[in-house]
Amino acid sequence: MNEEEIIESAKTGDRKAMALLVKSYEKTIYNFAFKICRNPERAENIMQETFLSMVKSLNQFDGKSKLSTWLYRIVANHCLMEVRKNKHQFVSTDDNEDGFYENNFASDWNLEPQNILENNELKKILDDAITKLSPDYRIVFLLRDVQGLSTEETGEITELSVPAVKSRLHRARAFLRKELNEAFKR
Amino acid sequence: MNENNVTCKEVMSHICDSLGEELDSPKCVAIKNHLDECPDCRQYFNSVEKTIEFYKLYNLEFNPDAHNRLMNILGLED
Ligand SMILES: [Zn+2]
Repeated sequence: MNEEEIIESAKTGDRKAMALLVKSYEKTIYNFAFKICRNPERAENIMQETFLSMVKSLNQFDGKSKLSTWLYRIVANHCLMEVRKNKHQFVSTDDNEDGFYENNFASDWNLEPQNILENNELKKILDDAITKLSPDYRIVFLLRDVQGLSTEETGEITELSVPAVKSRLHRARAFLRKELNEAFKR
Repeated sequence: MNENNVTCKEVMSHICDSLGEELDSPKCVAIKNHLDECPDCRQYFNSVEKTIEFYKLYNLEFNPDAHNRLMNILGLED
C-alpha cells in the first residue's frame, strides 16, 4: 500500500492504517517540535496534540498537499500559539542589519558537527541561540534549512509569500551564525 | 578582493539568500568566483553551512515509552 491508500483506509476507520501513519511520522514530528520549543517534555506534548488533531480531522485532509506538510502546519500552529504568549522575550530581528555581517572570523568554527550529541556545551550554545530568535523566524529556518522543505512548502505552512520566506530565512541564518560566532569566541 | 564588482557585504547577503538554491545566474557566478578568492567570505559561507548542519544533527532519541504513551492517547495501542 502506498501512503495515499493508507490514508484512505485510515479515513474509513482502519486503526492499523492510522497506526501506520502515526509510526511513519512520529519521530520527525517529535524532533521538529523539539527543535522549535527546545524542551523534551513540551515536544512530546506537542507531538501528542498534533497526532490527536490528525486522528480527529484526517477526513478533512484533501491530499492536495503532502501529509507531512499538513502535519508540519499543525505543529507550527501549536508551537506558535504557545510561544507567542511570551513574545516580548525575543530579540527583534528587524533592527540594524549591518550587525549581522560583522567581519570577525576569529572564532573557532573547527568543531565537527558530527560530534554534537557528545558535546553538552555546544548543545547549550545551540539552544540559547535559537531560543533568542523570534518563533516566526525560527520556524522558517527549521522548515526550510533543517527539515529540508522547499521555499514554496515553507511558505504554504507559514502562510508567507516566497519573498517573505527568503527574507526571514536570510535574517534567521545570519542571526544564528552571529550568535554562534560570538559564543565560540568566549 | 573586488574584481567582480561585488562587495563582500553583498556576497554575504547573497549567500544567506541563496544557500541551497540554484546558483547559475551571472551574479551567482560572480559570487562563486569571489568566494574562490576571498577567504573572509569563504569562511562566512562555511560557517553559515555549519550552523545549519549543527541544527540538523541535534536530534533527540525517540524512546519506546514516548511511542507507547502516544498510541495510548490516540487509542491505537495494539
Ligand atoms: Zn569577500
